Amino acid sequence: MEQELRQLQAEAETKLATLDNPKDLEEIRVRYLGRKGLFTTLLRQLGQVSAEDRPRLGKLANEIKEALEQKFNARKAELAASVAGADRQRDDLSLPGRLVPFGRLHPVTQIMDEVCSIFVDLGFAVAEGPDVELDYYNFEALNIPQHHPARDMHDTFYINDSILLRTHTSPMQIRAMEIEKPPLRIIAPGKVYRCDSDITHTPMFHQVEGFLVDRKVSFADLKGVLTVFCQKMFDQEDIRLRFRPSFFPFTEPSAEVDIGCVICRGEGCRVCKQTGWLEILGAGMIDPEVFKMVDYDPEEFSGFAFGLGMERIAMLKYGIDDIRLFYENDLRFLKQF
Amino acid sequence: MKFTLNWLKEYIDVDLPVEVVADKLTMLGLEVDNVIELYRDLDTIKVARIVNVRPHPDADRLTLCDVVLDAEEFQVVCGAPNASPGLLTAIALPGVTLPSGMKVRKAAIRGQESSGMLCSEKDLGISEDHSGIMELPGTARAGQSLPDALSLRDTLIEVDLTPNRPDCTSVLGIAREIAGFTNQKLKQPVKNELPELTGEEVPFSVEVLAPEDCPRYGARLLRNVSISPSPWWLRKRLLAVGLRPINNVVDITNLVMLEYGQPLHAFDFHRLAGGRIIVRRARAGEHIVTLDGEKRQLDKEMLLICDAEKPVAVAGVMGGENSEVIESTRDILLESACFNPLSVRRTARQLNLGTEASYRFERGVDPEVSPRAMERAVQLLVEITGAEIVANGYDCVAGIKPREAIKLRISRTNDILGLQLDAMEVGRFLESIELAVTEADEDTLLVTPPSFRVDLEREVDLIEEVARLQGYNEIPTTMPIVPMSFPEQQPGLELRKKLAAMLVSQGFFEAINYSFVDENYFDRLQLQGNDPIRKAVALLNPLSEDQKIMRTMLLPGLLQNIARNTSRQSNDIRLFEIGKVFHPVADEPLPQENMRLAGVISGRRHPGAPLLHFGSTLVDIYDCKGTVEAILQEVRIAKGVKLEFNNNSSVVPSYTEPDSCIVCRAGDRLLGHIGKIETDVLKSFGIKQAVFFFDLDLDLITEHGPEPKSFTQLPKFPSVNWDIALIVPEAVASGELLTAIDNAGEALVEAAEIFDVYQGDAIAAGHKSVAISLTYRSLEQTLDDKTVNKVHQRLIMMLEKRFQGKLREAG
Repeated sequence: MEQELRQLQAEAETKLATLDNPKDLEEIRVRYLGRKGLFTTLLRQLGQVSAEDRPRLGKLANEIKEALEQKFNARKAELAASVAGADRQRDDLSLPGRLVPFGRLHPVTQIMDEVCSIFVDLGFAVAEGPDVELDYYNFEALNIPQHHPARDMHDTFYINDSILLRTHTSPMQIRAMEIEKPPLRIIAPGKVYRCDSDITHTPMFHQVEGFLVDRKVSFADLKGVLTVFCQKMFDQEDIRLRFRPSFFPFTEPSAEVDIGCVICRGEGCRVCKQTGWLEILGAGMIDPEVFKMVDYDPEEFSGFAFGLGMERIAMLKYGIDDIRLFYENDLRFLKQF
Repeated sequence: MKFTLNWLKEYIDVDLPVEVVADKLTMLGLEVDNVIELYRDLDTIKVARIVNVRPHPDADRLTLCDVVLDAEEFQVVCGAPNASPGLLTAIALPGVTLPSGMKVRKAAIRGQESSGMLCSEKDLGISEDHSGIMELPGTARAGQSLPDALSLRDTLIEVDLTPNRPDCTSVLGIAREIAGFTNQKLKQPVKNELPELTGEEVPFSVEVLAPEDCPRYGARLLRNVSISPSPWWLRKRLLAVGLRPINNVVDITNLVMLEYGQPLHAFDFHRLAGGRIIVRRARAGEHIVTLDGEKRQLDKEMLLICDAEKPVAVAGVMGGENSEVIESTRDILLESACFNPLSVRRTARQLNLGTEASYRFERGVDPEVSPRAMERAVQLLVEITGAEIVANGYDCVAGIKPREAIKLRISRTNDILGLQLDAMEVGRFLESIELAVTEADEDTLLVTPPSFRVDLEREVDLIEEVARLQGYNEIPTTMPIVPMSFPEQQPGLELRKKLAAMLVSQGFFEAINYSFVDENYFDRLQLQGNDPIRKAVALLNPLSEDQKIMRTMLLPGLLQNIARNTSRQSNDIRLFEIGKVFHPVADEPLPQENMRLAGVISGRRHPGAPLLHFGSTLVDIYDCKGTVEAILQEVRIAKGVKLEFNNNSSVVPSYTEPDSCIVCRAGDRLLGHIGKIETDVLKSFGIKQAVFFFDLDLDLITEHGPEPKSFTQLPKFPSVNWDIALIVPEAVASGELLTAIDNAGEALVEAAEIFDVYQGDAIAAGHKSVAISLTYRSLEQTLDDKTVNKVHQRLIMMLEKRFQGKLREAG
C-alpha cells in the first residue's frame, strides 16, 4: 500500500512537471485527485489494511495528497502566468486603437458659437431673423433711405424693389426693438449676402450683430463690452485695441475697432498691411433716428450696436488666406479645424 | 479720395513724416488705405538729347538717332515719328527694366546697333500716351535722371472716405483736417476778394426754374480760349491721382474739382442756343446724348441744364455731347453750381451713370465753395489757355437755405460718451474745426457749423465731433450697469447645436453651402415639371447663372460637395448641413424660411477609422437609417415618428432609388426622407459611387418638442430569452413581424429583436428565414418554462398565420 501510494505520487509529480497546458493539468487533477481519481480509489482501500498500519498509512496518504495538491496549485499558477505571458506577447501595442474618428463642425460655425457664447455669458439673448428681408428692415428703418449714398456701401442682391437678401444682420435691431421694450441685450448671428466675389469676398458670409439698449448707456460702455469680447475671443488679456471714427447711418458716433495684429504682434506684416492693426468690428451708439423708427424715446434710452464678420475672424485666427475655401466644403479643409 | 503729398504742401506745411500724417488721418476717421511712393521705378531712366536723326537704311519706319547723355554720343534705333534733332527725351539704357517688365538690351535692329531705347510716356507707365517719345521741357538737362528732371518724386495717399464726409472729397478738405491737428492756417489758392456777379451786361442769361433742386448756379463766360494739351505740371497732378489728361480746359475743371470738391462744367458757348441757360426738370419723352456717346432717356424727376431749345447737360451728372468743348471751341461758358444731393443721386442711379461729379453732389457740395472754385478756374483758364474773362457773370443763390444753430447739451454729450467735459472744453474742440460756438445757458451751447460741413445737422452729429476730437481712445472703458435678466434663447438654436454635436460624434463633417443655387438642379434631380419644390425665389441681379435662385432643398449642395471631394480623391464622405431653404408664399412679401438638416454618406462605413479593425466595408441604407434613428433618439421624438417603406412613386422623390427610400412622418406631417440617390441623378452630378442621404425638417422637430422624461421602476425578477426562426415569403417586411408581436399585446413580452435574416440552401426559393430573439419578463414573479411556452406558442401561431410563415426546424 505504502509503495503504491509513493508510486502514484512519483507518477503524478512527473506528469505535473512535463505537462505544459491547463487542459492537461485539469485532466491530471481529475485522474489523480478527482472524486473518482486514483488517490481516492486507493484511499478507499485503506479500510482493508491492518488496524495497526491504518493510522500511519492514513496519515501518509493525506500528506502525499496535500503535497500533491500543493504542487498541483503551484503548477497551475505557473501555467496561468506563462499563458498570460504568452498573451501579452501577442498584443502589438503599436497597432492603432479601435476608434471611429469624430467629424468636425464647420470653422465658421465654430467661430460663431464661440462669439455667441461670450455674449451669452454676458447676459445677451440670441435672436435670428430672415435671410430674405424687406428693404424697410435692411435699410429704411436703419436710417438708410432710398437715395442715400450709404447704400453704395452695400452691394445688394434684390428679389424685387422692396425685397432683398439682407446685407447685414442689423435688421434684427429693428425687429427686436419693435417687439420688446428696453432693457435689451441681444446678439443676432446669421448669413448675410453681398454681390461681390474675390479672394477676400464671397457673395454669402456670416455676421454677428449685437446691441444693448437701456437708460444711460454710453460709448464708454461700448468700449468696455467690446474690450472684454476681444480679450476672450483672442484669449489675450492684454490685447491691444483701438477705436477709430467711422460712419454707419444707424449709429452715431460710429467706430471701427482694430486689434493689435495677431500675426505679427504689431510689428507690421502682409496681413495687417504693415500697420500692426487689424480691423475686426464696426460699432457705435444707436442713432436717435433708429430709435424713432421703433417708437423708443431717444431722450430716455440710449444704446450701442456692433457687428463683426465670422469669416474674417476665422481667417485671422487660423491663417486662412482665401475666403472661398469656406464654401467648397473640401474635407481636406474641414478636417483641419 | 487720392492725393499726393506735394499737392497737399501747396496749401499747408507738412513737416511730419508721411506715416504720421497717415496715422493721424486714420484716427480722425479718414481711413488711409494706401501710401505709395510714385515713380520709384523710374530712377534709372535718364534724359537724353537727340543730336542727329538719320533714316534707317533697311527699314522705312525706323530712324537712327545719335543721342548724347553726358559727353559721349551713341546711336539708338527709334520708331517714333517725333524724333527730331535737339529734342530732349527719356532713354532707358541697356540693363534697365521698364515698368512693364521688359528689359532693355544692347541689340542690333535690322542690322543697326541700338544702345538703348527712347521712351514714350506709356513705356514708362506715366500715361497711356504712345503717340511718340516723350518731349521734355527745356529745363531738363541731358544725363539727369527723369524723376529729377520732371520733379516726379511724390507720395500718393489714398483715403477710404465714408459718405458723411463730402468736405474731404477735395485736397483742400484733407488739408483743412491736417491744419486742425497741426494748428496751421490754410494757404488759399485764390487770394483776392471774389467779384460780385450780378448778371448785368453779359451776353448770356441764366434762369433757375427748380431752385429746390439747384440751390446755387454760377456761370461765367470766357472768350478766345485756345484748346491745347495742358502744361506738364497740370498733367502730372492729374496723372498722379489716376486721371487721364484731355485738354487744358477739361484738365483745369478736373483739377479744380479735386482741389475744392466742386465739380465744374465747361460748355462751348456758341453751341448753346440763344446764349441761354435754363435749369429745369426734364419733360416727358426728352432725351440727351451724354459725353460718353450714350443716348439717355430722361424722366420728369431729372434735373437738366438746357439752352433755349434743348437739354445740354444732365445736372450734376454728365454734360451733353451737343455742347461739348472741342478743339475748335473759342468761347466757353463755365458752370459752377450746387445741386440737391437726392436729386443727383436718383438721376445717377436711374441712368446707371456714376461720375466724379455725381459722386460729390450726391454726398453734398458746400454751396459756399462754388464761387471760390469758379474764380480759381477762371484764373487758371486765363493763365493757361490765354482766355479773356467777361467781367460780370451769374450767381443765382435763391435756393440756399441759411444754416440754423444747433443746440448742444453738455450733459447729453457726457451721458452719450461717458465723459465729464465742461462747456469750455467742448467749445474749444468745436471751434478748432471752424464751428461757431456761443453759450446759451449753463448746459447748452449754440453751434453753427461752417458751410462745408453739410453733414452736421443734429445734436448727435456734434457729439460725434466732440468724440472724434477728444480721440476715441481717450474715452474711458467701463462696463454697462443693466438690470439682471434671463436671456431667453430660441429653442431651435439649442436643438441645432445638439444635433450638430451628435452628428460630429458620429463622424460627420459640417458643410455650409451658398443659399443660392443653379436652377438646373431641379432637372438634374429629375423633378417633375410641376413639382412644388421647383417654386423658388429668384434673384434680380445674381452674380452668376449658378447662383440664380434661393435653394428650396439642401441636397444639391451636398451632392456637389461629394462630386468635388471625390474628384480630389476623398471618397469616404460623411457630410451634413443645417440651413434654411426658401419657399415663396402666395400673397406674402417674404418667403417661408424652413430650417432643414440633411446629410449624405458615401464610400467606407467608417471614414478614417483604422482599416485593421474596421475593414473597408461600404456604407448602405442602414447607415443612413441608423443616423436618423440616432437623431430621433437624441431629440427624443422617436416614438412620435413613423418610418414608412414603400416604393409608391407618389411618395418616393424622383431622385431616390424607388426600392431604397424611407418616408419619415411625424403625425400626419412629412418630416423627411432617407434614401439612396438614383444612379442617373448621381451621373448628372458627376458622382461615380453610391450615395445615401437623409433630409429632415428641423422646424417640425423643434415644434414637436421632446417627449418628457419619466421614470419606470426597475424590474425585480429575471428575464428569459427565447428565440424563434420563422420562414416567411420573401416579400414580407421583417419589421412587420416585430410590429405584429408588439400589437399582440402580450404582457410578458418585454422586447423582440431580429438577429438574423437568411436566404439560401436550406430555405425554399422565394422565402427567407427571420430569426427573432424574444425577451420575456414578469414584474410579479420569476417566469417558469411552462408559462413562457404558452405565450411563445401563441405568438408563433399568430405569426405563422399572419405571414404564411412556418417555424424553421432546428438542425
